[in-house]
Formats: sequence, C-alpha cells, structure tokens
Amino acid sequence: MIEIYICDDEDAIRQQIQTALERKILAENYDMKVVCSAASAQKLLDAAKDGRQGIYFLDVDLKDREWDGFRLGQQLRRRDPYGTLVYITGYGELAWRTFQYHLEAFDYIVKEPERVGPSAARCLEEINMRLLEQRRNPVQTLTLRTGEVVRHIPLDSILFFETASAAHHVLLHTQGGRIDFLGSLNELEEQLGEGFIRTHRAYLVAADKIEAVDLKHNKLWAGGRECLLSRSGKAKLRRKAEGNQ
Amino acid sequence: MLTFQYYLLGFLDTVAGHFMLVSYLLAVTDEQAVWSRLKKLPPLSLSPVIAFLLSLGLSAVLEVGILRYFIMSFVTLVMCSLWVTWAWRWDIWRAFSAVCMAGILQVAATALVQVLFLMFPSGLKLDAAAMAAALLFSAASAAMLKRLHFGTWFRLLLEDQANLRRTAALIFALEISMETFLILQNGVRGQYLAAYYSLAVVLVLLMIGLIVYLAHRFDDSRLLQAQRDIIIQQQIYEQSLEDIRREIRSFRHDYKNLLAGLPLQTQEGAQDVLCATLPELDADFDRHLGEKIRLSVQIGNLRIPQIRSLLLCKLTDMGNKGVECRLEVLYPVERISINVWDFVRCLGVLTDNAIEAAQDVQQPWVEIVLLAQGGSVFLRVANPYTNVIDPGKLWENGWSTKGPGRGLGLSGYRHILEGYPNATVCTSWENHVFVQELTLEDRT
Repeated sequence: MIEIYICDDEDAIRQQIQTALERKILAENYDMKVVCSAASAQKLLDAAKDGRQGIYFLDVDLKDREWDGFRLGQQLRRRDPYGTLVYITGYGELAWRTFQYHLEAFDYIVKEPERVGPSAARCLEEINMRLLEQRRNPVQTLTLRTGEVVRHIPLDSILFFETASAAHHVLLHTQGGRIDFLGSLNELEEQLGEGFIRTHRAYLVAADKIEAVDLKHNKLWAGGRECLLSRSGKAKLRRKAEGNQ
Repeated sequence: MLTFQYYLLGFLDTVAGHFMLVSYLLAVTDEQAVWSRLKKLPPLSLSPVIAFLLSLGLSAVLEVGILRYFIMSFVTLVMCSLWVTWAWRWDIWRAFSAVCMAGILQVAATALVQVLFLMFPSGLKLDAAAMAAALLFSAASAAMLKRLHFGTWFRLLLEDQANLRRTAALIFALEISMETFLILQNGVRGQYLAAYYSLAVVLVLLMIGLIVYLAHRFDDSRLLQAQRDIIIQQQIYEQSLEDIRREIRSFRHDYKNLLAGLPLQTQEGAQDVLCATLPELDADFDRHLGEKIRLSVQIGNLRIPQIRSLLLCKLTDMGNKGVECRLEVLYPVERISINVWDFVRCLGVLTDNAIEAAQDVQQPWVEIVLLAQGGSVFLRVANPYTNVIDPGKLWENGWSTKGPGRGLGLSGYRHILEGYPNATVCTSWENHVFVQELTLEDRT
C-alpha cells in the first residue's frame, strides 16, 4: 500500500484535498491510503519517519519559521529518495523550476476554492499511472549526489566514467550529458559489477556501449566519445569478448 | 678537477634558483591545485640546462661579470615566463609579471639567508650550505606567503587587464633594481654586509606592501564601477516598479467599481455575471502584474552587488533581443564560496552563450535558476538550441552549440573553475534544451 501524506496549515484546503483524494482512491480502487493530514511540518515529519515511496502533498508557503515547503521537501527527499512530491501553492509566484530540479517535484496544484480538490484527484491519477508504468518497466538507476541535488541516472544511459583532473572528482558521461560528482572509480567498479569494464586506470566503460576499439593507439569509443585503453584493459576486453562467444 | 667542481656547483646553483622561483610562483599565483601544476614541471628542467650552457658560452665571450649576470637573469625570466604561459595558460604579460614577482621574492630569500650566515657564522662551507638553507627557506616562506593570501592580492592586480602591461613593466623594474642591489654587494665592506642584506629584505617587504596596496585600490575601483553600473541598471528596474504601481492603481479602480456594484448585483440576482467577471479580473491581474512582481522579487533576492549588476544587465540585453527570461532566485544570495568576480565571469559566460544559442529558435527563452542554501550555491542555465551536438567535440576549446569557434568563453569558464576543487560542473542536452549546471559547495 502506498502512503499519502498531506501538509497544509489552512484547515479548509487540507480537508478539501483529503476528501477528494479519499473519494478518488475509493472510486478507482487504488492501493493507497491517506495516513497523515498534518497542519504543521513537524507533525508531518513525525508521522513520516520511515516513509517508503510515499506521496506527499505539501504547502509551499507554510507559516512556520523553521520550515517552508522547499526545506520540508528536502528533508523528505533525504528520508524517501523515491517518493513523489506534489506542491500546493496559493498564487502563481512559485519558483517551480527550482522545486523541479532540486526536489524532483512531480507537479503542483493551485489553491483555488472549488478547484483544488479536483486538481488533487487528477494529480493522483497521473501519479498512479506513472507508478504503474514504473512497476511494469522497472528502470535500474544509479543515485548520485552533488551538493544537495540527488540524481537518479538510468543505468542504460551510462556510457562511461572518467576520473576528472581535480582530486576525487569523477565525470559520468551519459547519452545526453556529462555529470561531475565526488566519488571513486574503484567503488563504482565494485558497485556496478559485471556490465562495466575498467579499460584504464582512469576509465570505467559500460561494456554494451563500446562502439569501436583501436588496439594500436590504445583507444576506444563509447557514444562518440574517446576513452583510453591500457594493457590490462585490453586483456579484460578480450576475456569479455571470449566470454560472450 | 677543481674546475669540474666549480661547474657542477654552478649548475646546481642554477637548478636551486629555479626551484626557489617555482615555489614562489606557486605562492604568487595562489595556486590551489599545486600537484596538477607540478605535473607540468618537466619541460621547465630545460631552462636550467639552457641557462647553464649559455653561461658557459658567455663566460668565454664576455669578461664583464655584471653584464653576464644580467643577460643570464633576463634569459631565465623569459624562459620561466614561457613555461608559465604554457602551464597556466596565461597570456605572456601576466606570466611575465608573476615570474618577476617570484624573482623579487627569490632575491629577498637569498639576502635573508646571507644575513643568517653572517650573523651566525658556522664552519660549513658557505656555498653548499647556503644553497640548502635557501631552498628550505624559500619553500617555507612560499608556504607562509600562501597562507597570508598574498597570491590572492597579486592575482587581483593582474586582473586589471587595462593596465596589465604597465603592471608588468613596474614589477620588471622592481625586479631589475633588486637584482642590481644584490650585485652591488660586491662593493660593500664586510662589516656593513649584514645591514646591507637586511636592507634588501626590508625593500622587498615594502614592495609586497606596494603590491597589496595597488591591488586594494584596483579592487575598490572595480567595486565602485559595479555599483555605478547598478545605479544605471536600477533605473530600468525602477521603471518596471513604476509600471507595477501604475497598473495596481488602475486595478484598484476596477476592483472598487466591482465591489461598489456588488450589493446591487446580488440583490438583482445577477450572480452569473459576477461569477464571470471575477475570474476574468483575476486572470487579467496575473497577466499584467504577476510576472513583473515575481521578477522583482527574484531580483531582490540577489544581494551581492556584482551578481545583481551582471544579471540586470543580461536581463536588459535579453529584453532587447526578444529573448524571454525565466529567472528564479528562491532564497537570498548573500555569500558565495568562490571569488565573487570569478563567479560573475562564469555567470557571464553561461548566460551569453545561452542567449546566443537561444536566438536560433522561433520563440527564444533562457532559464536561470540560482539557489543559495547555507554557503552553497547552485546555478542552472538552460536554453533551447537547434544545432547538432557532437559529444566528442563538446569539451574541446572553442566549441559551442552555435558551431566551432564561437564558444571561446566556455574554455575560460572551465579554466576559472579548475582552481576550485569545491566546484562541480554538469552539462546535458536533451529534447533540444542545453543545460549547464554549476554547484559551488561551501567546504569551509
């Protein structure tokens, strides 16, 4: 069962959302339940101690000195990295992109009397569809953290890892980008296991992404980008190729 | 046999001199990534070899010691400058200034070691012991200068692009006078030598003071300039506040009319009309004012004058070019964990590139998200693009989404950040949106 949490300090709004969600769950027979409807951030955090892939409806503008919607979202993300965050906002002044990139917030609904309930129900429908889709095609991901930002990178989009010139920095090359993070190739090699080959002291390459190998000049290519190949890397490649035959 | 020893000692002396120069160079340039810089050291080993061979050649031709000394010093300075140009990827004048400054400090170190030897006479043979002592002393004092952040000030002075040549000439003149000073010791009587060397050290300290003073002056004038810029930009910003005020006044008028008619309409039972007008008015308010108010709140959160000035300038630029700007600054930006000017330069490069690339699209937009939390700052600049991205070339110098040769700024951007281990840089392109992210963590 998926747990739903609501946090808003306006009682009327909170009530409306809760009623709408419960009706939707009943009507569609979702495997979900509103387990907490809190007026303050602290109450929500107490209730959501070990939230696992929960759904959270949070007010952006909490009248609380310590917590605002963003900080509360960050705290919840730390506890529940795969949860779904939906924000409730009073006006169009929401810095939505910041919420999207930093908290992977799913959507927001606007606090308008009459409309807030239906919007919440529609939002729940979309969340349900996404969760079903995820269950049908589970995507294996690698979780990285840069500063406060947490990223979930699908394993099949990873081309290779490369040590950066700055100490302890690793560059992750994906199909559509390059991400810099703090880490070590040794740990990644251990963590990722089989599908990745350490072709060089400074390179860890996804085996199925290798496009071309130039044994003469000690190079190989993945996703159009050049990687280095060492002598022991060549031996590993050869072993891998023989294993596949 | 004696001559061989003499030459060997001469060669070692040259090598030691270079070692001292490099350690002071690292201090003067305020180098953070010392090891990666030292990896580029091997080509510099050519310099002492060339210098030594040259000195052999010169001693055969020239009799006058002083002239020989000057030629040698100058050649060494030039060779080291060339190395710095290559290793730091600086332009030649900056490199030359840095090497001259390191040279001045080296003179001070030599003089100080001489003073120590004169004050505490030991049985050691002066040449070899002095050399070892000078090496140790130079490494220690270079570390100390680094701790005192002399390099930060010196780099600041070199950032004054307009006066760079003048600065280089000044430091070169100081270097020549110090070298001359050291040569003139030959004419000083024994009992005055200690005082003479002490004087040399004092002179170098004064020069350090002068450099710091000049850097201070430059920094102040630059801040003043930024504030002047802000005042100009502020006028544009105030204009938009004035617009907001005017619109609010007209809305007040509309609302008053509406509220005045309310009792009458409810009496007449004309609720349908009311229900239709209210949302319309609301939407109207959002359309006319919502965006402007939002933007003014975001700009208000930029509390660092240099950053505010730059972004206001870029916003105006985007306005003129018809590029829609989406700016989000959720929390006040008050502190930044790298040099503010370095950050401003990075921000400038990223926004300039984004504006340029976005203009290829029908409805151009640029999105800037700046999030400050604690001492950490996160920057994200996104723009649409139309060109094809070749990931193999993306990180080469001079490449951009506009095609080769246009993205010269990006290599400068990377170069600035190389010096900061707390900076992480991410790039991505998906669905024809190009994104650059920069995270600066506060590790203090």
